[in-house]
Amino acid sequence: MTGLRALRFAWLTIVRQPARSVLGILGVAAVGALLFDMLLLSRGLVLSFRTLLDAGGFDARVLATDMVPFSGPRLDHASTLAAAIRALPEVAAVQQVRTVRATAGDRSVASAMGVDDGEDDGEIEIVGTDIHVHPVWTIAEGRDVAEDPANGLVINRHLAETLGAKPGSKVTLRGRCGDEASMPPPVTFIVTGIATFPFDTPGDDTAGTSIASAARLCGERDADQADMLLVRSRDGVGADTAAAAIHARRPDLHIVTNAEIVDQFSRLQFSYFRQISSVLATVTLFFGFLLVAVLLTVSVNQHLGEIATLRAIGLTRARVVAGIFWESVVMVGTGGVLAVPIGFVVAAWLDRILRRLPGIPTGLHFFVFEPRALGLYVVLLSAAALAAAAYPMRIVAGLPIAGTLRQEVVS
Amino acid sequence: MTAPVVEARGVSRVFPMQAGAVTALADVSLRVSAGEYLSIVGPSGCGKSTLLHVLGCVDVPTAGALRFQDRDVATLPDAERSRLRLREIGFVFQRFFLLPMLTAWENVELPQAEAGIARAERRARTAELLDYVGLAARAGHRPSELSGGEMQRVAIARALANRPRLLLADEPTGELDQTTGGQVADLLDRLHGDGTAVVVVTHDAVMAERAPRLVHMRDGRIVEDSTR
Repeated sequence: MTGLRALRFAWLTIVRQPARSVLGILGVAAVGALLFDMLLLSRGLVLSFRTLLDAGGFDARVLATDMVPFSGPRLDHASTLAAAIRALPEVAAVQQVRTVRATAGDRSVASAMGVDDGEDDGEIEIVGTDIHVHPVWTIAEGRDVAEDPANGLVINRHLAETLGAKPGSKVTLRGRCGDEASMPPPVTFIVTGIATFPFDTPGDDTAGTSIASAARLCGERDADQADMLLVRSRDGVGADTAAAAIHARRPDLHIVTNAEIVDQFSRLQFSYFRQISSVLATVTLFFGFLLVAVLLTVSVNQHLGEIATLRAIGLTRARVVAGIFWESVVMVGTGGVLAVPIGFVVAAWLDRILRRLPGIPTGLHFFVFEPRALGLYVVLLSAAALAAAAYPMRIVAGLPIAGTLRQEVVS
Repeated sequence: MTAPVVEARGVSRVFPMQAGAVTALADVSLRVSAGEYLSIVGPSGCGKSTLLHVLGCVDVPTAGALRFQDRDVATLPDAERSRLRLREIGFVFQRFFLLPMLTAWENVELPQAEAGIARAERRARTAELLDYVGLAARAGHRPSELSGGEMQRVAIARALANRPRLLLADEPTGELDQTTGGQVADLLDRLHGDGTAVVVVTHDAVMAERAPRLVHMRDGRIVEDSTR
């Protein structure tokens, strides 16, 4: 009951000074929104990156060396290796991935569409995979490559627009493998569908086909190579256990789980954003603290006579101090609640801006909501409310009743 | 002799100041019995209000002892002194000091709520008190919507909310015109008639004359204590 009365008193104190209170609450809302956004940013990239990595359903990667994927040596006898790993009890599925750079032949689409489209000579990334395993792309329109294993090709929307292609179109591609002098002959594919690729950036031209067709683009008829193997651990086993089992069988290979990749990116590539968000979160929190502390201190100093009166008529020190605490809680709480939707709107806006940076995959987001961020936001804001109320509460706790009443009469 | 409500024995109050200590009360002894009505008069700065604050347990004497209903106030913890003020003492101030965000009704109800009085009982008591001070029709008005005399009457109703044994009034008519001040003084007379001990600090000779007992102070000391 006492707490409820203190809360109601705090509310009445706040509403009696609407201008001050509205300004204070709006200030807290602005500061809170920025704080909330910084918390979303602090782990947003990591969470989004993890989601992208997990999107294909694979939780570990097998590479020939510890070099960055697609830049080091390939895995030889890839299908044999994939079968051996697939045979491990800890492993549910293995997907082979080979990438090839290619360009579209000048008349590739023109021959299919009846138009001359010879201006595009941009580079296309071809992703070759085992068509019998779950693909690494998602079909948005048409059918998957598995429907036409020999010549099937799925392309992303940007490439489809660039080439003017659609399901059923013929596309001639020329692989860029090794030096220009040894350029392999062009290969003609039939577009079976339009697909989205998880790590595509907005301007990327990407296509997917079978791993054999990808090798064919480089003129390799019987090559059995892959840049990496994607591994899905069996349910309940976990990526670490699967990785350990693979390592036990092939200690010469480099195995990395999604969690390890995320951890590495979090410590290195994404640390910049984390540091920025930490600094800005600290600064905004400090400003929020200052704002509320100043408002409460001014309010308390304006109402010392009333506070002394409350003490004189018998309210306890704890009860009057609680009133100040609740005033802080109401002000910060109201502003803090308002801050969340504002924070979401601002985060979406900032996310759109940041995602325009070159080389950012379409599916990657900088600001990602997670319940933990909301929890941390509530904790930090509560701490700020408490800290902001500390000084005015101290003033009230130490207020001499008689002296203050005398001063009020004299003034 | 009737049992004292409050008794100050050899009380002194010294305020340490930068320019030197100021003695507001010097060895003052005063006993207020249950149902008694006394006025404290004297020139400005003679220690009247300080004595009232000490009697009301809002100030602590530098020396001497204060006993409230035979309890040594100095030994009571702060929360217990608050409880004493809440339940046993009523304060009326020159500047009224009503809470501006509360209505007259809420101002009167506040001390009862703090004392844990049940809602139904609070409502009945608040209605009774506002009727007692003649402001039943103004219950829903905030202090800013009341005249000075009305505010002081609400303040008296608030002071009486928990049926105190002692009512302390510090210049209760100091901010009021003669007519309104007279109405407030009449109200204090009635209170005394109803059995509450009343101590009034005042500069107003007419007001002071209403009390059967008159205490004169000068330079922090009681120089005369007479009963008519």
